[in-house]
Amino acid sequence: MTATVELTTSKTKAPSLATSEAFGIFATAFAIAAPIIYVVSELASLPLFTYHPGTNRVDLGWAAARPNEGPAMYWYGWIATMLIGSTVVGGLAMALPRRISENIPLFLIWLLPLLVLPILAYALMPFWTR
Amino acid sequence: MDFVLDYISVSTFWTILLIFHSLLAVVLLGALTHQAIAVAMPARQIAGQAGFVTRFRSVYGAAYASAVCLLWVLTFVLGAWIYTKYRIAIRIPLERTGYWKTLGFFELKEHVAALGLGILPAYWYFWKNAKNPKYDHIRKSLTVLLAVMCWFAFLVGHVLNNARGFG
Repeated sequence: MTATVELTTSKTKAPSLATSEAFGIFATAFAIAAPIIYVVSELASLPLFTYHPGTNRVDLGWAAARPNEGPAMYWYGWIATMLIGSTVVGGLAMALPRRISENIPLFLIWLLPLLVLPILAYALMPFWTR
Repeated sequence: MDFVLDYISVSTFWTILLIFHSLLAVVLLGALTHQAIAVAMPARQIAGQAGFVTRFRSVYGAAYASAVCLLWVLTFVLGAWIYTKYRIAIRIPLERTGYWKTLGFFELKEHVAALGLGILPAYWYFWKNAKNPKYDHIRKSLTVLLAVMCWFAFLVGHVLNNARGFG
Protein backbone atom coordinates (compact mmCIF):
# COMPACT_ATOMS: atom_id res chain seq x y z
CA MET A 1 0.00 0.00 0.00
CA THR A 2 1.44 3.31 -0.98
CA ALA A 3 0.46 6.65 0.25
CA THR A 4 0.71 9.66 -1.89
CA VAL A 5 1.22 13.01 -0.43
CA GLU A 6 0.07 15.93 -2.40
CA LEU A 7 2.12 18.99 -1.87
CA THR A 8 0.55 22.26 -2.70
CA THR A 9 2.23 25.57 -2.81
CA SER A 10 0.42 28.77 -2.44
CA LYS A 11 1.65 31.86 -4.19
CA THR A 12 -1.15 34.14 -3.09
CA LYS A 13 0.15 37.42 -1.74
CA ALA A 14 -0.56 38.36 1.85
CA PRO A 15 -2.92 41.36 2.05
CA SER A 16 -1.09 44.62 2.64
CA LEU A 17 -1.91 48.28 3.09
CA ALA A 18 -0.92 48.95 -0.50
CA THR A 19 -3.44 46.47 -1.89
CA SER A 20 -6.21 47.21 0.60
CA GLU A 21 -9.24 48.85 -0.99
CA ALA A 22 -10.30 50.09 2.43
CA PHE A 23 -7.01 51.97 2.81
CA GLY A 24 -7.50 53.44 -0.66
CA ILE A 25 -10.86 54.85 0.43
CA PHE A 26 -9.36 56.12 3.69
CA ALA A 27 -6.42 57.80 1.90
CA THR A 28 -8.71 59.40 -0.70
CA ALA A 29 -11.11 60.82 1.90
CA PHE A 30 -8.19 61.89 4.11
CA ALA A 31 -6.56 63.78 1.22
CA ILE A 32 -9.83 65.50 0.24
CA ALA A 33 -10.65 66.51 3.82
CA ALA A 34 -7.13 67.70 4.76
CA PRO A 35 -6.97 70.99 2.81
CA ILE A 36 -10.54 71.89 3.77
CA ILE A 37 -9.96 71.26 7.46
CA TYR A 38 -6.60 73.04 7.34
CA VAL A 39 -7.96 76.21 5.76
CA VAL A 40 -11.02 76.27 8.05
CA SER A 41 -8.77 75.73 11.05
CA GLU A 42 -6.58 78.65 9.94
CA LEU A 43 -9.37 81.08 9.04
CA ALA A 44 -11.61 80.26 11.99
CA SER A 45 -8.71 80.16 14.48
CA LEU A 46 -9.24 76.53 15.41
CA PRO A 47 -5.78 75.14 16.14
CA LEU A 48 -5.81 72.13 18.43
CA PHE A 49 -3.21 73.89 20.54
CA THR A 50 -1.08 77.02 20.63
CA TYR A 51 2.66 76.90 21.18
CA HIS A 52 4.59 79.76 22.77
CA PRO A 53 8.22 79.26 21.69
CA GLY A 54 9.61 81.89 24.06
CA THR A 55 8.49 79.97 27.14
CA ASN A 56 7.80 76.48 25.70
CA ARG A 57 4.23 76.83 26.92
CA VAL A 58 1.43 74.90 25.20
CA ASP A 59 -2.18 76.04 25.50
CA LEU A 60 -5.13 73.99 24.34
CA GLY A 61 -6.99 75.62 21.45
CA TRP A 62 -6.32 79.18 20.33
CA ALA A 63 -4.51 81.45 22.77
CA ALA A 64 -3.20 84.96 22.27
CA ALA A 65 0.47 85.80 22.74
CA ARG A 66 1.12 86.75 26.36
CA PRO A 67 2.79 90.04 27.23
CA ASN A 68 6.60 89.72 27.57
CA GLU A 69 6.53 86.03 26.60
CA GLY A 70 7.18 86.39 22.87
CA PRO A 71 4.98 85.32 19.96
CA ALA A 72 2.38 82.54 19.80
CA MET A 73 2.52 79.86 17.09
CA TYR A 74 -0.63 78.28 15.66
CA TRP A 75 0.79 76.33 12.70
CA TYR A 76 1.43 73.18 14.76
CA GLY A 77 -2.11 73.33 16.09
CA TRP A 78 -3.60 73.74 12.59
CA ILE A 79 -1.69 70.68 11.44
CA ALA A 80 -2.85 68.66 14.46
CA THR A 81 -6.45 69.71 13.74
CA MET A 82 -6.00 68.74 10.07
CA LEU A 83 -4.46 65.33 10.84
CA ILE A 84 -7.04 64.35 13.46
CA GLY A 85 -10.00 65.71 11.48
CA SER A 86 -8.90 64.03 8.26
CA THR A 87 -8.33 60.73 10.05
CA VAL A 88 -11.90 60.87 11.36
CA VAL A 89 -13.26 61.71 7.88
CA GLY A 90 -11.17 58.89 6.37
CA GLY A 91 -12.48 56.45 8.96
CA LEU A 92 -16.07 57.50 8.27
CA ALA A 93 -15.55 57.13 4.52
CA MET A 94 -14.49 53.52 5.06
CA ALA A 95 -17.88 52.85 6.60
CA LEU A 96 -19.75 54.21 3.58
CA PRO A 97 -21.52 51.79 1.25
CA ARG A 98 -19.23 50.73 -1.57
CA ARG A 99 -21.38 52.28 -4.30
CA ILE A 100 -20.76 55.69 -2.70
CA SER A 101 -17.10 55.31 -1.71
CA GLU A 102 -16.22 54.00 -5.18
CA ASN A 103 -17.57 57.18 -6.72
CA ILE A 104 -15.60 59.72 -4.71
CA PRO A 105 -14.14 62.04 -7.39
CA LEU A 106 -10.37 61.56 -7.29
CA PHE A 107 -9.58 64.89 -8.98
CA LEU A 108 -10.56 66.66 -5.74
CA ILE A 109 -7.32 65.39 -4.21
CA TRP A 110 -5.17 67.64 -6.41
CA LEU A 111 -7.74 70.38 -7.03
CA LEU A 112 -8.54 71.28 -3.41
CA PRO A 113 -4.97 72.10 -2.32
CA LEU A 114 -4.72 74.38 -5.37
CA LEU A 115 -8.03 76.06 -4.50
CA VAL A 116 -7.16 76.70 -0.85
CA LEU A 117 -3.72 78.17 -1.60
CA PRO A 118 -5.05 81.54 -2.83
CA ILE A 119 -7.24 81.71 0.28
CA LEU A 120 -4.24 81.03 2.51
CA ALA A 121 -2.20 83.59 0.56
CA TYR A 122 -5.02 86.12 1.04
CA ALA A 123 -4.98 85.43 4.78
CA LEU A 124 -1.34 86.51 4.74
CA MET A 125 -2.32 89.94 3.38
CA PRO A 126 -0.54 91.91 6.15
CA PHE A 127 2.74 90.54 4.81
CA TRP A 128 2.01 91.62 1.22
CA THR A 129 0.74 95.11 1.96
CA ARG A 130 3.35 96.45 4.38
CA MET B 1 19.65 67.74 24.02
CA ASP B 2 21.26 70.27 26.37
CA PHE B 3 24.51 68.27 26.67
CA VAL B 4 25.18 68.99 22.99
CA LEU B 5 25.34 72.68 23.84
CA ASP B 6 28.33 71.97 26.12
CA TYR B 7 30.35 71.33 22.97
CA ILE B 8 28.85 73.62 20.34
CA SER B 9 27.20 77.02 20.41
CA VAL B 10 23.45 77.42 20.13
CA SER B 11 23.70 78.97 16.67
CA THR B 12 25.99 76.11 15.49
CA PHE B 13 23.44 73.57 16.75
CA TRP B 14 20.58 75.19 14.82
CA THR B 15 22.78 75.68 11.76
CA ILE B 16 23.61 71.95 11.75
CA LEU B 17 19.90 71.11 11.98
CA LEU B 18 19.18 73.53 9.15
CA ILE B 19 21.87 71.92 6.98
CA PHE B 20 20.37 68.47 7.61
CA HIS B 21 16.94 69.89 6.77
CA SER B 22 18.35 71.32 3.52
CA LEU B 23 20.12 68.08 2.59
CA LEU B 24 16.95 66.07 3.12
CA ALA B 25 15.09 68.62 1.00
CA VAL B 26 17.67 68.25 -1.79
CA VAL B 27 17.24 64.46 -1.83
CA LEU B 28 13.45 64.83 -1.77
CA LEU B 29 13.59 67.38 -4.57
CA GLY B 30 15.72 65.06 -6.70
CA ALA B 31 13.45 62.07 -6.12
CA LEU B 32 10.25 63.99 -6.80
CA THR B 33 11.64 65.73 -9.88
CA HIS B 34 12.79 62.41 -11.34
CA GLN B 35 9.44 60.82 -10.63
CA ALA B 36 7.40 63.77 -11.91
CA ILE B 37 9.35 63.98 -15.18
CA ALA B 38 9.10 60.21 -15.63
CA VAL B 39 5.34 60.21 -15.11
CA ALA B 40 4.56 63.42 -17.02
CA MET B 41 6.91 62.85 -19.96
CA PRO B 42 7.67 59.12 -20.05
CA ALA B 43 10.56 58.12 -22.28
CA ARG B 44 9.67 56.26 -25.45
CA GLN B 45 11.65 53.32 -26.74
CA ILE B 46 14.42 54.69 -28.93
CA ALA B 47 16.86 53.10 -31.28
CA GLY B 48 20.50 53.51 -30.30
CA GLN B 49 21.97 54.81 -27.08
CA ALA B 50 19.77 56.77 -24.69
CA GLY B 51 20.96 60.27 -23.80
CA PHE B 52 20.94 62.00 -20.41
CA VAL B 53 17.42 63.39 -20.77
CA THR B 54 15.98 60.06 -21.90
CA ARG B 55 17.63 58.27 -19.00
CA PHE B 56 16.33 60.98 -16.64
CA ARG B 57 12.80 60.28 -17.90
CA SER B 58 13.18 56.51 -17.80
CA VAL B 59 13.20 55.92 -14.04
CA TYR B 60 10.67 53.52 -12.55
CA GLY B 61 8.46 55.97 -10.65
CA ALA B 62 6.82 53.46 -8.31
CA ALA B 63 10.18 52.71 -6.70
CA TYR B 64 10.36 56.30 -5.42
CA ALA B 65 6.96 56.49 -3.69
CA SER B 66 7.84 55.19 -0.21
CA ALA B 67 11.15 57.09 -0.17
CA VAL B 68 9.37 60.32 -1.16
CA CYS B 69 6.82 59.88 1.67
CA LEU B 70 9.53 59.14 4.22
CA LEU B 71 11.67 62.05 3.05
CA TRP B 72 8.71 64.46 3.06
CA VAL B 73 7.85 63.47 6.65
CA LEU B 74 11.48 63.64 7.86
CA THR B 75 12.09 66.99 6.16
CA PHE B 76 8.79 68.25 7.55
CA VAL B 77 9.50 67.15 11.13
CA LEU B 78 12.99 68.63 11.10
CA GLY B 79 11.64 71.84 9.55
CA ALA B 80 8.90 72.00 12.17
CA TRP B 81 11.53 71.74 14.91
CA ILE B 82 13.67 74.49 13.35
CA TYR B 83 10.52 76.63 12.94
CA THR B 84 10.35 77.10 16.73
CA LYS B 85 13.78 78.74 16.72
CA TYR B 86 13.09 80.60 13.46
CA ARG B 87 10.02 82.30 14.98
CA ILE B 88 12.16 84.10 17.53
CA ALA B 89 15.71 84.24 16.19
CA ILE B 90 14.99 84.90 12.51
CA ARG B 91 11.50 86.24 11.99
CA ILE B 92 11.57 88.98 14.62
CA PRO B 93 14.82 90.56 13.32
CA LEU B 94 13.53 90.29 9.73
CA GLU B 95 10.29 92.00 10.78
CA ARG B 96 12.34 94.82 12.28
CA THR B 97 14.24 95.24 9.03
CA GLY B 98 11.08 95.17 6.92
CA TYR B 99 11.45 91.87 5.00
CA TRP B 100 7.67 91.46 4.97
CA LYS B 101 7.26 89.79 1.58
CA THR B 102 10.08 87.33 2.28
CA LEU B 103 8.38 86.43 5.57
CA GLY B 104 5.00 86.18 3.84
CA PHE B 105 6.36 83.73 1.29
CA PHE B 106 7.90 81.72 4.11
CA GLU B 107 4.54 81.48 5.89
CA LEU B 108 2.99 80.39 2.57
CA LYS B 109 5.71 77.76 2.24
CA GLU B 110 4.72 76.38 5.65
CA HIS B 111 1.12 76.11 4.42
CA VAL B 112 2.29 74.35 1.24
CA ALA B 113 4.35 71.84 3.24
CA ALA B 114 1.33 71.09 5.46
CA LEU B 115 -0.98 70.63 2.46
CA GLY B 116 1.58 68.28 0.90
CA LEU B 117 1.57 66.22 4.08
CA GLY B 118 -2.19 65.80 3.72
CA ILE B 119 -1.98 64.22 0.26
CA LEU B 120 0.90 61.83 1.00
CA PRO B 121 -1.22 58.77 1.96
CA ALA B 122 -3.21 59.02 -1.28
CA TYR B 123 -0.06 59.61 -3.34
CA TRP B 124 1.55 56.52 -1.77
CA TYR B 125 -1.53 54.37 -2.34
CA PHE B 126 -1.89 55.32 -6.02
CA TRP B 127 1.80 54.63 -6.67
CA LYS B 128 1.60 51.28 -4.88
CA ASN B 129 -1.16 50.42 -7.34
CA ALA B 130 0.80 51.71 -10.33
CA LYS B 131 -0.48 48.92 -12.58
CA ASN B 132 -4.09 49.98 -12.13
CA PRO B 133 -4.88 52.21 -15.15
CA LYS B 134 -7.81 53.73 -13.23
CA TYR B 135 -5.27 55.68 -11.17
CA ASP B 136 -3.00 56.83 -14.02
CA HIS B 137 -4.32 60.38 -14.18
CA ILE B 138 -4.51 61.03 -10.43
CA ARG B 139 -1.06 59.50 -9.91
CA LYS B 140 0.41 61.86 -12.50
CA SER B 141 -1.43 64.92 -11.11
CA LEU B 142 -0.43 64.26 -7.51
CA THR B 143 3.21 63.61 -8.37
CA VAL B 144 3.52 66.81 -10.42
CA LEU B 145 1.70 68.77 -7.69
CA LEU B 146 4.01 67.45 -4.96
CA ALA B 147 7.07 68.21 -7.12
CA VAL B 148 5.91 71.81 -7.68
CA MET B 149 5.18 72.18 -3.94
CA CYS B 150 8.62 70.85 -3.11
CA TRP B 151 10.36 73.22 -5.53
CA PHE B 152 8.41 76.17 -4.14
CA ALA B 153 9.25 75.25 -0.53
CA PHE B 154 12.88 74.66 -1.37
CA LEU B 155 13.39 77.95 -3.18
CA VAL B 156 11.54 80.01 -0.56
CA GLY B 157 13.53 78.37 2.23
CA HIS B 158 16.74 79.03 0.35
CA VAL B 159 15.92 82.71 -0.21
CA LEU B 160 14.93 83.15 3.43
CA ASN B 161 18.19 81.60 4.57
CA ASN B 162 20.00 84.07 2.31
CA ALA B 163 18.10 86.92 3.98
CA ARG B 164 19.08 85.72 7.44
CA GLY B 165 20.50 82.43 8.67
CA PHE B 166 21.22 81.21 12.19
CA GLY B 167 24.92 82.16 12.13
